[in-house]
Amino acid sequence: MSDILAVNAVDVTKRYGALTAVDGISMAVAQGEVYGVLGPNGAGKTTFLRMLFGLIRPDGGTLQVLGRTWQRDGTRALDGVAGFLESPRFYPYLSGRVNLELLAGLDGGDAPTRIDRVLDTVDLTGRDRDKVGGYSFGMRQRLGVAAALLREPRLLVLDEPANGLDPAGIRDMRALVGQLAASGLTVLLSSHDMGEVEQICDNVTIMRTGTVVYHGTIATLREQAPEPAHRLSTSDDQSALALAAGRPGLTVLALDGALAVRGSLDAVDAYLSAVVRHGLALRALSLQEAPLQSLFFMLTETSPETVPGSLDRSPTGARP
Amino acid sequence: MTATTSARIREVRRPGAANRRPGTPTALRWELRKLAAQARARYTLLGSLLAPVLLVLVLDGQQRPPKDNIYGRHIHDSGYAMPLLVLGFAAQWVFPLLTALVAGDIFASEDQHGTWKTVLTRSVSRTQIFWAKTVASVLFALSVLLLLAASTITASSLIVGRQSLVGLTGQLLPSHAALPLVLASWATAIAPLIGFTAVAVLLSVVSRNPAVGVVGPVVIGLVMQLAGSLGGLDAVRHLLLTTPFESWHGLLTEDRFSGPLIDGLLVSAGWTVVCLAVAYAVLRRRDITGG
Repeated sequence: MSDILAVNAVDVTKRYGALTAVDGISMAVAQGEVYGVLGPNGAGKTTFLRMLFGLIRPDGGTLQVLGRTWQRDGTRALDGVAGFLESPRFYPYLSGRVNLELLAGLDGGDAPTRIDRVLDTVDLTGRDRDKVGGYSFGMRQRLGVAAALLREPRLLVLDEPANGLDPAGIRDMRALVGQLAASGLTVLLSSHDMGEVEQICDNVTIMRTGTVVYHGTIATLREQAPEPAHRLSTSDDQSALALAAGRPGLTVLALDGALAVRGSLDAVDAYLSAVVRHGLALRALSLQEAPLQSLFFMLTETSPETVPGSLDRSPTGARP
Repeated sequence: MTATTSARIREVRRPGAANRRPGTPTALRWELRKLAAQARARYTLLGSLLAPVLLVLVLDGQQRPPKDNIYGRHIHDSGYAMPLLVLGFAAQWVFPLLTALVAGDIFASEDQHGTWKTVLTRSVSRTQIFWAKTVASVLFALSVLLLLAASTITASSLIVGRQSLVGLTGQLLPSHAALPLVLASWATAIAPLIGFTAVAVLLSVVSRNPAVGVVGPVVIGLVMQLAGSLGGLDAVRHLLLTTPFESWHGLLTEDRFSGPLIDGLLVSAGWTVVCLAVAYAVLRRRDITGG
């Protein structure tokens, strides 16, 4: 892989009047990396990606994509870059194939020769002659990936690709993104779903209201994640709650007609055994919140003091 | 997804692909292909071809010609009068409407479909897209004008005949002299038509709303017609984009005069340059957010 970073953002800022949508973001994505940009809605992810694609101009900082900048290189800054922002949009009165033919024409080179193959890659071959207006949301998402692959990108940028999809669509899209990532492509994946990023990405930047709150590896994040939370329902929740008192490494709270149990798996196992030995029946036990999901919420929704102190929040924390 | 997806991805990403960059002609072909696929554009062209034939048939069948309109009283006397009557009528609102059907929609439709970010994340610049859309709009407007002129003149010549035409100062123009003058008269509409195309382009870019882009030029044209008909506004009248549509009158007088024609060209060019310059600046500076 080349030494040139796929994405090199330094102190990038974007303001809309009094609102600072992106506030001094720095990010370094190496080539070949599968990188996640996480954050709740309004965190500034899409604004950052819009700047990356040159659709909006940063008010401050520098942003290089594969060593090029919009100021210096114009549309050449997008050479080797492809992807989509929010949901990919096409001309509804044209077929999927014709939409791809038009976009391939705008890409130049031999992009038109790749149409059949990219349609095959995203499993749209049988529906390529249907008008896009009749496509499901998931089909349009897959057509968006096909349109991106037409450019033979070195950097693939996908903004919430599973957003709005049904469970089957989410499964298929995640599988496709995973296989694209496995093919050696640099992938920059934006999402508000920790589970989606956790499965695919090596490194991650977590954003909150335009700023970076975490920057590092998924492995580090996983180490720092709090214990998993389970939702427990028994034949007598009050007695079960009393049994939790004094147990080390375990927190049990009454919550919405059930019990929220947080602790290590060993502590939870011991507690459940005690509940059963006490003659109480277990009626339901489900994972309420995955550990990384809990940490994500802590980083993006709670005050900074509640976040584990050992987490690396520096923008260059994961620099290769 | 199938098990062979990874292999296909690697195949798609094979090295050594040609790296020719697309230019404005490529973007123009892209826009024209989109235009050809739009029912509205196809029906407008078809209507421009067929509507004049019906109009000529209807007017020819009328016992009482529209005497209040220029050349209205002569439509039964010469097949060359009907095209000039249609030209005068079309200048009032038909030309602005027909050109705006495409030019007023051509930028705003990208906002409507949310496709700006799809297009602008490829290998073409905003400048190339701007000129491709503008040239496509002008080509469409000229096609409409050509079809209207050809259809009207042909239908009128065949249905009414190719008799001599009475000039605006009463002189008699023989058939062989009348046809070139009628064609030249229609050609004088090119410049203001391009001006209205530029107005529609500007409204399309600024409003991001196809309805405003299509209806706006028609309303502007009607307001200009009204302003032009008011007394005491001669200085303003010369600057209106509707005035050049009347410049053909100078071609059909005994002593021909070209002053209005030259003024019309200058005024149309002024409107075209100003509208396109503003539209270009707005598009260049625009943040593509929602679309």
